[in-house]
Amino acid sequence: MVPDGDLEDELEGHLAIEVRQLIEGGMSREAAELEARRRLGNRALILEDTRAVRRGGSGGRLWQDVRYAARVLRRGRGFTVAAVLSLALGIAAATSVFSIYDTIFLRSLPYRYSARIMWVGVHFGKMGAEFLPSPDYVAWRRDNQAFEQLAASQANGGGVSVLGGGDPAEVHAVRVSANFLEAFGAAPLTGRTFRTEDELPSAPRVVLLSYRFWRDHFQRRRDVIGSTIPLDGTPHQVIGVLPESFVFPMDVPVDALTALPVAPNASHRDRSMSTWAIFGRLRPTVTVAQARADVQRLYAASAADLPQLFKNNPPVVQPLRDHRAGNVHALLYTLMAAAACLLAIACANVANLLLARWSARARELAVRAAIGASRGRLARQLLTEVGMLVAAATLLAMVLVNLALRGFVHFAGAELPRLGEVTTDPRVFGIAVLVASVTALLFGGLPVLRAGRVDLHAVLQQAGRGSVGAGHGLLRRTLVAVEIGLSVVLLCGAALLFQTLWHMQYEPLGFQADHVLTVSVPWPGRSVDPAARTKVAEDVVTTLRRMPGTEAASLTECGPLSGGAASLNFTRSDRPLPEPYQQTDSIGLCGVDPDFFRASGMRLLRGRFFSDDDVNYRGLRVVVNDAAARAYFAGEDPIGKQILGGRAGAWKTVVGVVADVKNQGLNRPPAPEAFVNNPSETSTAGLMIVMRTMAQPSMISRALQDDLRASHPGFLSRVETVEETIGKLSAGPRFNMVLVTTFAALAFLMAVIGVYGVLAFSVTQRRAEIGIRMALGASPRAVLGLVLREGAVLVAAGVIAGVGGALVLTRYLASLLYGVRATDPATYLAVVAVLAAAAGVASFIPARRASSVDPLDALRHE
Amino acid sequence: MSDRIDLLQGTLDLLILQVLQWGPEHGHGIGQAIRMRSQEALQVEHGSLYPALHRLEKRGWLASEWKISEANRRARYYKLTAAGRRQLLEEQSRWKQLVRAVARTMKPVKE
Repeated sequence: MVPDGDLEDELEGHLAIEVRQLIEGGMSREAAELEARRRLGNRALILEDTRAVRRGGSGGRLWQDVRYAARVLRRGRGFTVAAVLSLALGIAAATSVFSIYDTIFLRSLPYRYSARIMWVGVHFGKMGAEFLPSPDYVAWRRDNQAFEQLAASQANGGGVSVLGGGDPAEVHAVRVSANFLEAFGAAPLTGRTFRTEDELPSAPRVVLLSYRFWRDHFQRRRDVIGSTIPLDGTPHQVIGVLPESFVFPMDVPVDALTALPVAPNASHRDRSMSTWAIFGRLRPTVTVAQARADVQRLYAASAADLPQLFKNNPPVVQPLRDHRAGNVHALLYTLMAAAACLLAIACANVANLLLARWSARARELAVRAAIGASRGRLARQLLTEVGMLVAAATLLAMVLVNLALRGFVHFAGAELPRLGEVTTDPRVFGIAVLVASVTALLFGGLPVLRAGRVDLHAVLQQAGRGSVGAGHGLLRRTLVAVEIGLSVVLLCGAALLFQTLWHMQYEPLGFQADHVLTVSVPWPGRSVDPAARTKVAEDVVTTLRRMPGTEAASLTECGPLSGGAASLNFTRSDRPLPEPYQQTDSIGLCGVDPDFFRASGMRLLRGRFFSDDDVNYRGLRVVVNDAAARAYFAGEDPIGKQILGGRAGAWKTVVGVVADVKNQGLNRPPAPEAFVNNPSETSTAGLMIVMRTMAQPSMISRALQDDLRASHPGFLSRVETVEETIGKLSAGPRFNMVLVTTFAALAFLMAVIGVYGVLAFSVTQRRAEIGIRMALGASPRAVLGLVLREGAVLVAAGVIAGVGGALVLTRYLASLLYGVRATDPATYLAVVAVLAAAAGVASFIPARRASSVDPLDALRHE
Repeated sequence: MSDRIDLLQGTLDLLILQVLQWGPEHGHGIGQAIRMRSQEALQVEHGSLYPALHRLEKRGWLASEWKISEANRRARYYKLTAAGRRQLLEEQSRWKQLVRAVARTMKPVKE
């Protein structure tokens, strides 16, 4: 670019030549100079036109605006940083939260036929589960008209299987029907998928490996396909490997798929039925409503065959995507609401900052308008500044979202499914940026609208005296009150979730959890005969008991925090038996050794624990928990009663009552449970031992593994502390709490900054007024009170609105809460107190400044 | 000077390039050359000349350097670049086409 001086030089040169020629033509120097200038014409116009050419038209003005805006923004550094940071945080929070939840719960699973995959089943309300009994699956698969494929898998995923060999490994194998992959439109990476004959109970066992398992355990060796691996002691032929992209449709760990035995002649009269999760792929022309009608017809046939089972349990047909999203609706809405609140607060903050800034610049704008800047020109200038703010915030938000997502994957990747696939959701990012831009433009544009109406004379006379921003004053106050209100809502939500987590984690579990370990040894298959199982069980318990530090070790069928290995109908000998299939009072049943209570540290309320004498009455003595005693023996003494007999076997005598433990998970009240003095090592999927020890869990784990390898090769063991179990159970709630708390903290910060900003600005503007007040005799104390009162009104209005809003909104949080009510007064009081205190500090700083105004100095500055 | 002709849109560029094919010249000289070669028929406004010179330089058809002029002062001398020379040929042929086309339309139609 040619510097402007250069251009003037060029014209000077031009004039010099002209003058010289005129003098040579006989003119006097003076006349020649005049004539030369006349001939050149409007010099300023030439300069301007030529410069315009060099800059390239109106693009040059844009560049000028940008440079000017950059200068202005650089000068008001505090304002710029605050505005950009607020916007960026708001955008980033909304985007990252939604991206995470979209990935985990909402995004359609990556299947070829995603849109046509339905979740099919029967809603068993009492069990709180949706599934289909196996005979009905067989009938529905045969008779339906709506689905191209109706596939089944084990309802809750598979248990842990053991991959045999020198170094036994845990395998999460899930059984699926032969058409499972076909239903989702998936094909194996190599090898073949299941064939219908693989479903026959007599068929040779085959297995499909997940890509990850193939990579980690077989180093992607192709020759694994066709080979035979021992899975749970049974040889399975590996028929293929799943593609890396395949995602199992339920949130269960999956290392391998095996064939589900589907008996073609299954009926409700079979001795046992399985319960399966069903996925159907609609025919291309069939609508969901038509599929519902079809399933209703099939359901009517099933219900006619066994009315007791299906009574009050309606059928379900739902797009798989909706089904998955439905499981987390409350949570999703909570977090989206929190993110929206934060974005709103950020926008309010920016609006406020912009308003304050423009008020302070009213004089500048008025002067520029006075010396001829058009309204459009000023508007362009201001909007350029706002545009640059938004652009900077967008860039920063991109960086923040990226960091946040990486952080989540790093810290929570193992606990949450599919988090590894998380990417920024461009739609949400776009919407968030749009909301922020509209806000910024709206409030950035406001002074332009006013600029036309402002009486220049008044502005120039009064600028700096505080009356200019008066119109904005009310708006700004309202915005800050809104910010405070929204942060009260967020803080209340966060406080409630925090208490929930606290209750879950630290509420008494009902037993002494420290030093309690759960040791499990999954059976490597059915081939381990009962005698061998008993031998292994004896050996393991003996080994554990012999280890230094062990206080007690007991075989058990259930862990200390799980609710019984089996669930049966509660029966007592002095009452009539309920009808079969009638869903009545249920109770969890758990077989344990006499040492169980000592090992787990459960507390006895009445009667006694098992004694050594009970060995002679295996399975005939029972200890119930307090929940069972309260529910089924209200006003009676359960000791000595005969329960859980009749069809379920011999009657058992109640000998004791123990205090409740949290056997339904950390956030649900304990359910009735009975402990019977007979752990059956043959019926469960593996061995479980609860032990109390002073030794390090890792040491126990290593010693036991070494022992097993020597005495029982092919077996593996897992050791888990109760703390680890609790950690796993509270991972989800902790995740929610951390997110909402982060939001609340940011919101809190922005609101407090907002209060400070409004008051500080107000003090600056009212400096002269304060000076006059003090000159007329107001004490610094009175001035302090004046400003503090102004802040208090602001905060009070916000808090009242916020508490009202929180009372309404936190009701939707109720399903996520435990141990605290959504309207807990103490929580609200605490939040209000904290916010009021912080706002008080925020208003004290400008108030102090106001009270230390020197009247002379303030008045001289006018 | 009633026989002065207003420049047709776009012809100024051609005239500047045409003048400069004889060698480097400064703005004043270019204006004078156009006036003299057109026998005073074409009068170039300085308000159009200088923006045109800078526009042509920006497009890469002209290059400029500072030299001492006959008035013993620094003056910016413009010269054609290779691209400018090509552009001149193109503009000349386009001009000839225009002149021919205009001439044809002016000719009386034969019976």
